[in-house]
Amino acid sequence: MDTQWPRWEVFKQDTPSKPHQAVGSVHAADPEHALLTARHVFARRPQAVSLWVVPAEAVFSVTKEQLEAGTVPFPETPPTTKPTLYYVFRKTSHKRSMTFVDYVGEVSAAGPAEALKEAQSRFTDAEALAWWLVPALQVVKSDPSREAIESWFEPAKDKTYKQQQYYATVGSHVSKHKGAKR
Amino acid sequence: MKPEVKEALIAKLTALADDEVILAQRNSEWVGHAPILEEDIALANLTQDELGHAQIWYGLRQALDGADPDRLVFFREASEFRNAELLELPRGDWAFTMLRQFLFDLYESLWLEAAQRSLYPPLAQAAGKILREERFHLQHSRAWVERLGLGTEESHRRLQEALDFQWGYAQQLFVPIPGEALLVAEGLLPDLETVKARWLEYATQRLQQSGLKLPINPGYQPADRSHHTEHLWSLLAEMQSTARWDPQAQVW
Repeated sequence: MDTQWPRWEVFKQDTPSKPHQAVGSVHAADPEHALLTARHVFARRPQAVSLWVVPAEAVFSVTKEQLEAGTVPFPETPPTTKPTLYYVFRKTSHKRSMTFVDYVGEVSAAGPAEALKEAQSRFTDAEALAWWLVPALQVVKSDPSREAIESWFEPAKDKTYKQQQYYATVGSHVSKHKGAKR
Repeated sequence: MKPEVKEALIAKLTALADDEVILAQRNSEWVGHAPILEEDIALANLTQDELGHAQIWYGLRQALDGADPDRLVFFREASEFRNAELLELPRGDWAFTMLRQFLFDLYESLWLEAAQRSLYPPLAQAAGKILREERFHLQHSRAWVERLGLGTEESHRRLQEALDFQWGYAQQLFVPIPGEALLVAEGLLPDLETVKARWLEYATQRLQQSGLKLPINPGYQPADRSHHTEHLWSLLAEMQSTARWDPQAQVW
């Protein structure tokens, strides 16, 4: 029996003026639990104002290479399907190892294949290395209230050792204490 | 500040700090052992937060009497600690840990809310600062109480057993320490009776919604914070061993 809980993709927004960015994933029993663990794992020290979680299986992803090879792995959508809202995420750089895709906007489409076409025609300001399309109904968001933001994200601002480069300052090298007596 | 007020305030700040540091030590035992990686990280976060809160309370005491927080934490004997017994109980299983966290987070959130109105500004400010984190802690532990209580037969049984065991211990959080009445009268601290009424109402509602029954017989209810279970001695032995072995800790 597979006892692993479902996987959720986590998107973090650093400031109100920045897009939500994929930062990684968590395992969790349900959406509320996923948001709680995402806060613990991804926003304890880093700056954040909002988190979204999405069941990993609800993400339709396709890479530039797959598009060039004509192997788009999206399921067929029956012709009678009514359009729904999709969130569009796009990867435009190989430089940052920790960030995969950024939120760019929403499209209305009858299925992921149509959503992809819409996205390709609308979001043309940069080359897409990968697209993620997520039905809007599957996106679960952290509480945007002032009180929730204060409780979930504000304490991070007061935490020490926010960045990896600070870790070296926790202690001092043993050579400095050579000869120190117990 | 009148000397008797100062003395009582020092005692209360010590009790607040000791609660945090002892719970942090217990929760830290989960690091590397929690049911999933995400919750392992969560417990490490809770532990660090509680330690941060302890540091704030010990700091307020230090401003009053100059006591060094490290000396208080690492060089006092068990009989000198003023934490509630609930917090020193062994971590038990996940249900035991999460239920204790819920009962304590709820108490702390409600107490801090009221303590923000303290007429002693450093305490009022500290309460506001700590409350932000406690609200998130409470959401986390409450989510677990719901899920375990309404989860499987086994998770429900384990959580109910934890509740039966802890309910009496939890009542100690609302027993005033010697001199506390004076601090309440001076407007420095919230009245614990009022906090307890809110705690009981909220806890009862949440626990019942999670399918649990409040114990008819609350069992052992500790009162005096200078008394402890045997478990505090072994906890301190581990927590204090390094500092006592090498107080300077210059080479590591």
